[in-house]
Amino acid sequence: MTDVPQQSGVRLGRRGIERLDLLLLTIEALDLNGGEAMLWTSQQMGMQTQFPNRVELWKRRCHNPLRRTTRREPMAPVDAESLICLVCAMAERLYPMLHQLLSSREPDQLTQQRWNLLDERLRDLVEERMNPRRGAVMRLLDPMFSAEIQRQLVGTLALVAGPGGIDRLRATLLDPTP
Amino acid sequence: MQKNTYRYEQTAARLLVEGYPDLSASQTNDSIGILSGWRLQLVAAPELEGTREHLEALMAVVMPYARHCLSGVRRPFKTEQGFVSIGPDSEAHQLQLRSSREGVDPLALRLDDAELSDLVRCLDRLRLDQRVQLSWELPADQPLPRHELVERIPLRRRFGPSFLGGFALAATASIALVLPLPPQPQQQGVEATGPRSDAPIDDAPIDTEKSPLTER
Repeated sequence: MTDVPQQSGVRLGRRGIERLDLLLLTIEALDLNGGEAMLWTSQQMGMQTQFPNRVELWKRRCHNPLRRTTRREPMAPVDAESLICLVCAMAERLYPMLHQLLSSREPDQLTQQRWNLLDERLRDLVEERMNPRRGAVMRLLDPMFSAEIQRQLVGTLALVAGPGGIDRLRATLLDPTP
Repeated sequence: MQKNTYRYEQTAARLLVEGYPDLSASQTNDSIGILSGWRLQLVAAPELEGTREHLEALMAVVMPYARHCLSGVRRPFKTEQGFVSIGPDSEAHQLQLRSSREGVDPLALRLDDAELSDLVRCLDRLRLDQRVQLSWELPADQPLPRHELVERIPLRRRFGPSFLGGFALAATASIALVLPLPPQPQQQGVEATGPRSDAPIDDAPIDTEKSPLTER
């Protein structure tokens, strides 16, 4: 399993925080018990002080400006690093599911059903938690764009799964806005 | 000397490395400091094998490619020696391996996203394995420069708004040139109230005699 963050962390920009929270939201869409699993995994990784309960975890995620209830102050670097490690650990746990979604060797009909299920769950979570007046949220809910965004999110989770993915994910989240 | 073999498996990929501990560097018996060979088995593909240089070349192209894919930049990568190259192939990825032996045709493998992530995970596990004490010369993962990210945006989206703005400005300017200028009402008003230009100046006599200044 992915270990406790070794680095003191980095300060993520707005886009980075949005993407990090979307990855966590995708994990919740993939795993029905994702919220509890995240807390359990964070405790397994020795982050009890960081995320002692679900509320603390939720408060960190509320730095995402796309949320209905958002916190304006910048996310602390140590929190960002912990969330990055949590995403990688959860992606490792869910890797078989990610693999099934991305594999072209699975039966097409079954793959389509899996994507539809993910789409339905992610859409519900986005509608419930995100501010629908934001352009990025509208795009997430728009059937024209949502499939591509969901594939990007699942592909990202697959490529950052495990301890080896932490540096890759951190670097990606620090990308400048084009 | 004891030969060590370690295997890294991930669904569709299986990487096996063999080697010996480098006793001159005080390595333990279960470590690999000298790589004698490696084999990679991908689903529905022939088994690949090679030397340390080939494995380093594979890692040197696959890891940066995966890093770029994460940022949405799909561009090919190739080693200097040309042993290994990887690039996008419509929705999938094409891994091309060139043998160092003469007369052997290059091998092209088509990997889907799941197989690419399997390969990346195998290489990650090898890279992070404390028992394999080889120095992988890989660049650290860094945020991509802005110009690389800009290139992923399609030309239509990149230049669309500025083109539309420029076109709107040019259209407005050309319409404004065609329209006739409105008459200037202010000029007529000045003519009505001011002195007539055609009237002789002498017509308006100045009564200097009645001026109080001249009287004194």
